[in-house]
Amino acid sequence: MADKATQSQSGARLTRRALIAGAGGAALAAPVLAQELGRMIDLGLPGGPSLRPLEPAFPGKRDMIVQRIRPPLLEAPMGVFREGVITPNDRMFVRWNWDMPTAITAAEHRVALGGAVKAPVSLTLDDIASAGEHVEVVAINQCAGNGRGLSEPRVTGTQWGNGAMGCAKWTGVRLKDVLAKAGVKEGATRVRFAGLDVPLTDGAPQFIKSIPLDIAMRDDVLVAWAMNGEALPLLHGYPLRIVVPGWFSTYWVKMLSTIEVLTGEDDSYYVAKSYRMPARPITPEEKDFDTVSITTMPPRAFITSHADGEGVALGKPLTLEGIAMGGDAALARVDLVGEGWEVPCELGPDEGPYAFRRWRVTIPAVTQDLAKIGVRAANATGAVQPDALNWNPSGYARNVIERITLVAQ
Amino acid sequence: MRAAATILAPVIALALAGCESQPQVTFTDVSVTLPDDPIDLPEGPGRQAVLENCTACHSPSTLLQQPRVSREKWESIAAKMIEVYKAPVDEAAIPAIAGYMVAVQAAGADAD
Repeated sequence: MADKATQSQSGARLTRRALIAGAGGAALAAPVLAQELGRMIDLGLPGGPSLRPLEPAFPGKRDMIVQRIRPPLLEAPMGVFREGVITPNDRMFVRWNWDMPTAITAAEHRVALGGAVKAPVSLTLDDIASAGEHVEVVAINQCAGNGRGLSEPRVTGTQWGNGAMGCAKWTGVRLKDVLAKAGVKEGATRVRFAGLDVPLTDGAPQFIKSIPLDIAMRDDVLVAWAMNGEALPLLHGYPLRIVVPGWFSTYWVKMLSTIEVLTGEDDSYYVAKSYRMPARPITPEEKDFDTVSITTMPPRAFITSHADGEGVALGKPLTLEGIAMGGDAALARVDLVGEGWEVPCELGPDEGPYAFRRWRVTIPAVTQDLAKIGVRAANATGAVQPDALNWNPSGYARNVIERITLVAQ
Repeated sequence: MRAAATILAPVIALALAGCESQPQVTFTDVSVTLPDDPIDLPEGPGRQAVLENCTACHSPSTLLQQPRVSREKWESIAAKMIEVYKAPVDEAAIPAIAGYMVAVQAAGADAD
């Protein structure tokens, strides 16, 4: 919605903005970002810095917002979501916590399956592919911090706009069929995953994540090798990644190399200390509160047909379109909401409870500016997007109604 | 992706569940070349401390894209890197690191 500037102008203002930190003090260096990275995009982050480069190019990716180069953090411009519900592989967001290998030798890759199992095994890729029925799931993969950069007050961390999400068709085998290769023992509580990405510094916590056993045994939780009918791109976790429909992508561990069945709580850093949010709503001033792990996704909706500030024809009908998601349950409805009014939207084809679904609504005639309009999704469990941001210090699970203003002219 | 990592007919529709033969999945070797950061840190007091202590893990473009926060916040972030991520950051360099970040962010805000 907010990707206004796609091409850097030579104009002084954009160049100056693009410097971010480069201008100012007399000793500071020449224009860095703007000169060396031609194309920029404005994410509309309150207070800035808001411009991000669409370069350098990454293998298998096209026109992605480069949030970080190493390890890569790539965001999809909102224009990616203007059509359809499937996000092409070359436009899917990329997020790595630590550096990953840049080469995979398929015959050498193993998945170690151990912990509270009857017989630990080391599985080849062929072992995994033959572990059970091949299953397809269309599911949204969304970073827990998607939209963090829009938090007010701002919080540190990756300054995502709303493009750290995408919807793909994932193909693989059920995790439970893979677990059956070793046999889960009585008393198992959780299943933990590790990939080939490892910390840059000795002693830093490895990026490992676990899910409760009942979630691991779901029919739609996969060890996946394909994304939209193609092999997982390396940047998306080749050769294998976990898919947990309805849950934030932090659990969708990439380059899967270890599966560990646990018998107690998971006290590892990225479960016990990180990826957590306040257990109750807090104010930015509060420092003392209990936290819970972020797990399932709440409903969200976006206007994709129009950007904030765009002009619309006075006196003419106006059709708005976009995408919505139910999160961890099917989407139930989408309403276009303004200040003191709301209109139900028509929903497009249903690709399954964990997929994007398109919505559309026509206003018979534009009579004035459409100020602070947004779309509000509700899911089958009754969860509804809130009017106010559920602010939290790490900017997780944003699902406030995203509002724009359209100018009648 | 440079190497063509193609999977031949990897899919069986759910409607065909129970079908005895699974389609063949082929895993090929894959390698990619990732780009380097083309950005250099602007000159300024404390730049050397940032280069010596931060840029091994944080590329300059990432540093320059962070929202403007206080000197205390930068100091606590640097301390977290030592405590949580075991980063080999020289504690004595933290004031210089924080000073550099505050200065470049202030310069960036002025430029806005």
